[in-house]
Amino acid sequence: MSEGIKRRDFLKVVGVGGVGAGLTGCSTEGAEKLLPYVVPPEDVTPGVATWYTSTCGGCSAGCGLWVRTREGRVVKLEGNPSHPVSGGALCQRGHASLQALYAPDRHTRPMRRVDGELQPISWDDAEALLAERIAGAAGNVLMINGAMGPSMTDLVDQFLASVGGSRIEWEGLAEAPLREATRIAWGRDVVPRYDFESSDFILSFGADFIETWVSPVEYQRAFARAAGVNGAGEKAEFVFIGPRLNLTGQNADEWVPIPVGSEAAVALGIASVIAGRRGNAGPYASVLQAYSPEAAASAAGIEAATIRELADRFQNSASVAVGPGVAGQHRNATAANLAVHILNAVAGNVGTRVRLVANAQSAAARPYGEVEGAIRSMASGGVGVVMVHGTNPVHGLPPASGFVDAFAGVPFKVSFAREPDETSAMADLILPDRHFLESWGDASPRPGLFSLQQPAMEAVPHFDTKQTGDVLLSVATRAGSPVGPATTHEHLRARWQQLHGNSGSNLDFEAWWRAALKRGSVELPIPATEAAVALRQPDVALTFDSPSLDGDGEFALVVYPSSRFGDGKHANSAWMQELPDPVSKIAWHGWVEIHPNAAERIGVGKGDVVAVASPHGSVNLPVFTYPGIREDTVAIQMGMGREQSGRYANGNGVNAMTLLPAEAEQPSGGLVHLATRVSVVPTGEVYRLATIEGSDSQSERGIAPAIHLGALGHAAEGGEEDHAEHGLEEMQLLGGFGAVEVEGDAADWPLPDTDRGDYGDPATPRWAMAIDLDKCTGCSACIVACQSENNVAFVGEDQLRMGRDLAWIRLERYYETVDASHAGPLDVRHLPMLCQHCNNAPCEPVCPVVAAYHTPDGLNGQVYNRCVGTRYCANNCPYKVRVFNWYSYADVPEPLNWQYNPDVTIRNTGIMEKCSFCVQRIREVQNRVAVEGRTVADGEVVPACQQSCPAEAIVFGNIRDASSRVATLARNERTYRVLDELINTQPAVHYLKKVTLHEVEDGAHQGASQNEPADR
Amino acid sequence: MGATTKIGLIAIAVTVIGGGGVAFVQAQDGSAAAAAQAAPAGKSTGTNFGMGAGIQPIAFPHDIHAQTNRIDCAYCHFSAERSVDAGIPPVSTCMGCHAPGKVNVQSEAGQAEIAKLQEIWANGETIPWVRIHKVADHVKYPHMRHIQAGLDCTQCHGQIQEMGVLQEPDPTWGNGKMGWCISCHVENDVSRDCTVCHY
Repeated sequence: MSEGIKRRDFLKVVGVGGVGAGLTGCSTEGAEKLLPYVVPPEDVTPGVATWYTSTCGGCSAGCGLWVRTREGRVVKLEGNPSHPVSGGALCQRGHASLQALYAPDRHTRPMRRVDGELQPISWDDAEALLAERIAGAAGNVLMINGAMGPSMTDLVDQFLASVGGSRIEWEGLAEAPLREATRIAWGRDVVPRYDFESSDFILSFGADFIETWVSPVEYQRAFARAAGVNGAGEKAEFVFIGPRLNLTGQNADEWVPIPVGSEAAVALGIASVIAGRRGNAGPYASVLQAYSPEAAASAAGIEAATIRELADRFQNSASVAVGPGVAGQHRNATAANLAVHILNAVAGNVGTRVRLVANAQSAAARPYGEVEGAIRSMASGGVGVVMVHGTNPVHGLPPASGFVDAFAGVPFKVSFAREPDETSAMADLILPDRHFLESWGDASPRPGLFSLQQPAMEAVPHFDTKQTGDVLLSVATRAGSPVGPATTHEHLRARWQQLHGNSGSNLDFEAWWRAALKRGSVELPIPATEAAVALRQPDVALTFDSPSLDGDGEFALVVYPSSRFGDGKHANSAWMQELPDPVSKIAWHGWVEIHPNAAERIGVGKGDVVAVASPHGSVNLPVFTYPGIREDTVAIQMGMGREQSGRYANGNGVNAMTLLPAEAEQPSGGLVHLATRVSVVPTGEVYRLATIEGSDSQSERGIAPAIHLGALGHAAEGGEEDHAEHGLEEMQLLGGFGAVEVEGDAADWPLPDTDRGDYGDPATPRWAMAIDLDKCTGCSACIVACQSENNVAFVGEDQLRMGRDLAWIRLERYYETVDASHAGPLDVRHLPMLCQHCNNAPCEPVCPVVAAYHTPDGLNGQVYNRCVGTRYCANNCPYKVRVFNWYSYADVPEPLNWQYNPDVTIRNTGIMEKCSFCVQRIREVQNRVAVEGRTVADGEVVPACQQSCPAEAIVFGNIRDASSRVATLARNERTYRVLDELINTQPAVHYLKKVTLHEVEDGAHQGASQNEPADR
Repeated sequence: MGATTKIGLIAIAVTVIGGGGVAFVQAQDGSAAAAAQAAPAGKSTGTNFGMGAGIQPIAFPHDIHAQTNRIDCAYCHFSAERSVDAGIPPVSTCMGCHAPGKVNVQSEAGQAEIAKLQEIWANGETIPWVRIHKVADHVKYPHMRHIQAGLDCTQCHGQIQEMGVLQEPDPTWGNGKMGWCISCHVENDVSRDCTVCHY
């Protein structure tokens, strides 16, 4: 370094938007401008976040949001704690929908296709054009929309009634068979609500209620409350029945790996045992007679004893069973859902844990059935104008449907897509909609519950957009048939005035409306429903047999919804692409899951590219060997293979829908997802997987130990296994490691009689965290919350493959026992690994510039402006949680950088970074309480991961306060600290062991890993 | 999570967002709006110290406001007591006194400057002030804690009330060195922990 350049000049840290390069400590270099408000908004204080309530539009669950804005820009989404659905949490896709707001690929303005080329058009001209074409279509207007809130639905219906037209709904993850089965069973045309929280025996026949199914945040919270061991030493048991373990299945205690399509037989087999004792099968008694345990067991290829035993447990507990889900949507899916309903009915769960009131707002009746009709109508020239809003049928429907050709033949195609997608790429007119954070709307996640969606910021100025509701109202007026209200906002308020009338509130409307906005939702009294509902005689013919599968390939093909992309909606989010899939731990690209034995049989291993061919199509994908799938089944994730999306999604993976037939399940009209057999043939090519998985085996390191439920309360008697000791002995035998003495616990640190100056001040808090692994499901919402809060950059596939991903939390997934032959219990361990903030941290003494050091309040500090990037700290970290900026990953395209949190420094090339325990949140609370003249209360400092966690697994606080929640959890008998016994690192992160229902053997990993460690 | 979390961060409901200058005109700590107008990244234009009159769009005399007329700093820098940012007064604050027919400004030069202000206001525009005081982006300086501790604004910003043209009080301002911050923290026996300011 030359004389003239000082270290700090050299190690510049560039601010948001790249301003102010070369700033020194406290100077005024750079002619930066300060632009004050013209008129200040009342509720904005510069430097202080302003929060708005809203409703998440990421899926149709209708979770309540708190939207954090700084100086008029949305920077973070959080769950609204007073919202009945989200209860304060938010899933990974919810966080990612913030990136969609600032997506650099959004349509920038309305566009019209002229001679095959898209050309800009003004909103005025565009609306006039649409009005003219609609008038010319003489009522032959078709609207294809995704899930919408009740007000928007009403607005669209009024519009179509006014101008003449019809609409259909296409939502890739709609649970049509479940809804139809509910109608058949009880005459209620709804997707029922399930109460996991008060259940102590949960059966899933495939529904992924932790990932995407119906209302995943709400269900995951309820599940974690039930399945996490309580103070009385009780926990719910969860049995997963199906051909492939999804993430939900990985959280089960037992896996019954039945062949695809045989869940109806198993459900009826269990029901027949219970009904045989109770005689309560009503109109289904004769059906159940055909499904004796033996018959069912033979249909499913399992032991009859298993079915009898499941029946005993199901009958004798507060049980609930949930259906096969979207991945299990086969040709007899309505029957399979009905079989699960019958099981719930004979076990007496209906009205208690299965409630026949509508759940998530949208589950269109006959979604694909209606699409088929629309395709026929479009193909026959019966549609003059087609409008597509909030859905992407060109990508989401199997090519065999003929949608593309039929759609292309419509004379005038209008897309309201916010971002480019495969459907808008074919449109004649693109009228970009606003993001849900820029627009008005509402949701009704369940009867009586109405949730408001308000704009949290002005529309992002890079994009000339207009809310679709406003466009429709304007077009209707131009077409000479006005709907009434002039804006969506007016229409919404008019509808909510009716709700106000029903609310029985004694507030006037304005006060009630403001209160609703402040709270985010209102709950209206609803008439009591469902006394005792009896099963009805089925009004359609159904067969409970295993469905037919097309083709004669060796494997059944499961196409399952993605916990990151849904059906593809969130694919153009860099956060979602970079987030390792919770099951495969692969990011950015696609893969096909094959059982290790099957892979060996066809001579492939991890990363070998295979051709997967069904009668309907063929794709090439690298293999991910997965012990959680049957040997006769392979699985591919939905939502990838985008071609006309944005820069982050295009070209990643393949579209699994191309392997499927275009067929509606009867009688529900849902699209069939599980319908083919495929052949899997090696291509000889190899694709190096982009994965964060180092190993799926703990290798006796005791990283994520477990404890048997029966051993709880007996910890002092030594009944508890101890992985770490086992590993330590081995290491000592190898001669490379001496015994260490573990000194004190986190609250004692620094130890008495040590002279540590400020560090010994007992008045200083000592921040610590507790993570309950019995609750953690591995869903990965914390990772995305952390990225959003802490400006953690994404690095892309190539960099990630080199191990340069920057995520501050890594969700480890270890297989203990995963056996596709039902030979043993299921045991998969999930562990969020983040900086452990060791009191005796190995990273600190090796830093030559004291950038890594310990703060008096117990944080392992990382001072970016000191760091010179030697990476010694990362090399010495036994937890591998320090990440290095090899490039300026934070330089993202406008306006994606608008999302950056102004409270957190953007890291530049050559800087080491890692979890900071959200130090900016700690300081923010400390500053605030100091001004208010009080002390920090327990639970007041909430890091982003804890805030987001749907399972409520994370607790943060001051461990020096013996009454704090974290201190209480640190004293729990299940508590351990990772590797602490080995190396005396004294972590501040305390893990609570997972509680198993099976005996956990002492230190032993059950057999060798079924997978080779991934090549990193 | 306890029920007490986020006290003070109560989600505020507003029925109408929009109007005048709600969003995107406030630009501090290098927001994108400022980025668009500031010097190109990587090219420092040097310190503004000693640039003298003419660099600001309006020659705002701090001496006349803070000294002659004894206006409290916090009248304009409204959020210093409750936020990390002191706040740059919105144009409407200026117009509170300088709307036509209100405060009578005697000097001709002053009247010319106020005419500029009134024109900006009439056009609904904002004033592109050149930033004089800035700590680096990796430094967090919570104004409210320092005001609460009894610091006078002049201790960091210099004798603002005597400056006709705002200048960085070089070299007493510490010459861009952290040692200057630290010496005050040592004198007052307050935290010198790195992560108090750097995160």
